[in-house]
Amino acid sequence: MKDAIQVRELKKSYGSHMVLKGIDFQIEKGEIFALLGVNGAGKTTALECIEGLRKYDSGAITVNGKMGIQLQSSSLPAHMKPMEAVKLFAKWNKTKIDDAMLDGLGIKEMEKKQYIQLSTGQKRRLHLALALIGNPDVIFLDEPTAGLDVEGRLSLHDQIRKLKSQGKTIVLASHDMAEVETLCDRIAILNSGNIAFCGTASELTDRVGRKYFIHIKTQQGDNTYETDNIEDTLISLLNELKQKKIHVLDIKVDCGTLEQHFIEMGRRGA
Amino acid sequence: MNGLLYGVALQWKLDIRSKSLLVTCYIVPLIFFLLMGGIFTSVMPEMRSTLIPSMIVMCVSMGAFIGLPPSLVETYGSDVKKVYKANGVPLYLGLAAMFLSAFAHLMISCTIILLLAPILFEAALPVQLPFFFPALAIYIIVSLSIGSILGLAVNNQAKLTMIAQLMFLPSIMLSGIMFPIDLLPDFLESIGRIFPASWGYRLMLDHGFCPENLWYFIPAFCGAIIICAILLKRK
Repeated sequence: MKDAIQVRELKKSYGSHMVLKGIDFQIEKGEIFALLGVNGAGKTTALECIEGLRKYDSGAITVNGKMGIQLQSSSLPAHMKPMEAVKLFAKWNKTKIDDAMLDGLGIKEMEKKQYIQLSTGQKRRLHLALALIGNPDVIFLDEPTAGLDVEGRLSLHDQIRKLKSQGKTIVLASHDMAEVETLCDRIAILNSGNIAFCGTASELTDRVGRKYFIHIKTQQGDNTYETDNIEDTLISLLNELKQKKIHVLDIKVDCGTLEQHFIEMGRRGA
Repeated sequence: MNGLLYGVALQWKLDIRSKSLLVTCYIVPLIFFLLMGGIFTSVMPEMRSTLIPSMIVMCVSMGAFIGLPPSLVETYGSDVKKVYKANGVPLYLGLAAMFLSAFAHLMISCTIILLLAPILFEAALPVQLPFFFPALAIYIIVSLSIGSILGLAVNNQAKLTMIAQLMFLPSIMLSGIMFPIDLLPDFLESIGRIFPASWGYRLMLDHGFCPENLWYFIPAFCGAIIICAILLKRK
């Protein structure tokens, strides 16, 4: 499959501070790809270089297809109404307005409000709609659900899945590991200006080592134990509790979230 | 209707909704006109012959230096610029739309002054009306061009307010609209000539539409356009 995006040896400095130290990755057509990293890791810089909004020092970037961009911090003139913005952007992109897309994002419901009167969720949906106006092949979403409530978050996740089902390539920068784990096909982790990892969530798990978390609820309270040998740890924990005559109320075992793997990777310095 | 025309029409609506332009292009200049028109013509009846150009200079200076730049900062000093850039809307749209919208608002406001002054204060209408409107249009365009530089060069609203006042106050005080420019010390008269207000005032006076009063506007406009283009490119 032809790559939607190829990034080769991308370098970017701000003064003497090198933010991107020659990163490489490619994104396949039709996949949801997440760029992860702690604050200041260079996610937004990398995205803006790929989007063509920021000049980079060296390297090569290829984007196959039309881009639609939702920025991390977005704004519109305070008194502009959502449909006015949609029409303005559609006219400049010389495209017809996709009513179904607008309905899906609930843009028409906020028609009478001015931008300044919209909630954070409504603003996010409006900016997503503006990014989709030109019917792009590759969609960049920088922290798309930041500041949204649970309902808004789930609704936006549905929209993102719908876009994927239409064959769009989606590049996501996010802090929300649960969101990334739920939505994304592959992830890249930026750490100190380098790509520390690029692959699927399960590949990340394999790389950092499979960790299990045993949550035991007793009359004395809840405890969580971390282990890489589930059988031995579980047996010894239960024996210990039995000897101490502590009554077990509930036991849960999980293999760790992406967030825990991400923290582990950071702890190891990638 | 293409993107630019739609953008200009939309900006016109936004300006009316924002109220700040209504204040700087209509409310304050017209209140100033009503108050000062009454005072000037009562104290010095001979001011009836220059009342219209005087009040228009005040109106245009306020709209161009106090009204337009904050709107530009709202777009170019914020994330609006990035959203436009990211989604295929050219950066010059904001400037072009705000410029044309402000031009239209100022033309309307100045025409109101032109129509009301003879009725309210028995002010003299310009003798050469066909030349008056081109003179007014030229003056507004150049003032807005200079106001655009302010809006594009300064990203901070607080700083802009201060700098805009540094343009607005000398424009009013040193242009000859409050008192004859001949009464000013030479250096103040020279400073006054830096600003478009003194040239606009002379251009709109009877028999003022002549090359001697026009030449200033050509380098001022060209210079402003070049500076705006450079500032836009850096955005």
